[in-house]
Amino acid sequence: MASLDSVFEYVGEFMAQNGIDRSEAYSLEFIVEEMFTNLIKYSRSGRNEIALGLRREEDTMVVQLTDFDVDEFDMTKVSDAKTDEPLGDRRIGGLGVHLVRKMVDGFRYEYSDRVGKIIITKNLGQDDVQRGGRKH
Amino acid sequence: MFSAAVGNTNEIQLIGRLDASQVVAAREVLDRITASSTIDFRELEYISSAGMGVLLATQKRLAGSGQKLTLVHLNKHIRDIFGYAGFDKVFEIR
Repeated sequence: MASLDSVFEYVGEFMAQNGIDRSEAYSLEFIVEEMFTNLIKYSRSGRNEIALGLRREEDTMVVQLTDFDVDEFDMTKVSDAKTDEPLGDRRIGGLGVHLVRKMVDGFRYEYSDRVGKIIITKNLGQDDVQRGGRKH
Repeated sequence: MFSAAVGNTNEIQLIGRLDASQVVAAREVLDRITASSTIDFRELEYISSAGMGVLLATQKRLAGSGQKLTLVHLNKHIRDIFGYAGFDKVFEIR
């Protein structure tokens, strides 16, 4: 996971270049890390590379992760984690996608010719509490 | 980077960033806990689901002997995420 440092560095550069307030850093870093690590975990790729793209479209951040030479795996269809269960029944793991879903405004998957893309949108200037765990 | 400072009175301070690359280091600290302890988040700026999993695993293990972790001084982002994860139902968070 040494590559996570370079991912976070890229996120920081993107924010600085696009005038995105540092208050958005946590959410953006979290989203990118969770998606990145899930793709690595579930990827059947022989290419071992994931392309990360970040862009700002007015007041929206767009995060795109592209995985090459993979079987189709739609992470957006992963069920929500069961967060109301008592401690003894709580499962370790499975929180990443659930938490990202709570933090973003758009979350979709595209697949074609063995290339999978996760595309996430997040409106700027609205904190996660206001977002209120919108479902997608 | 992630590190932890272990105090004398069952207090552990988490420091830095606990992302997926730091889970092994976090486990080395939390696996040593055998009694009820306070985890101080004052110096922890970031945690992802991987780090949260280590905390949850520790809490589940301690519950077996009637012990528990109490989490204190979470920043706003971490507090929000722990709420979404239902951690406020399985940890005492102050």
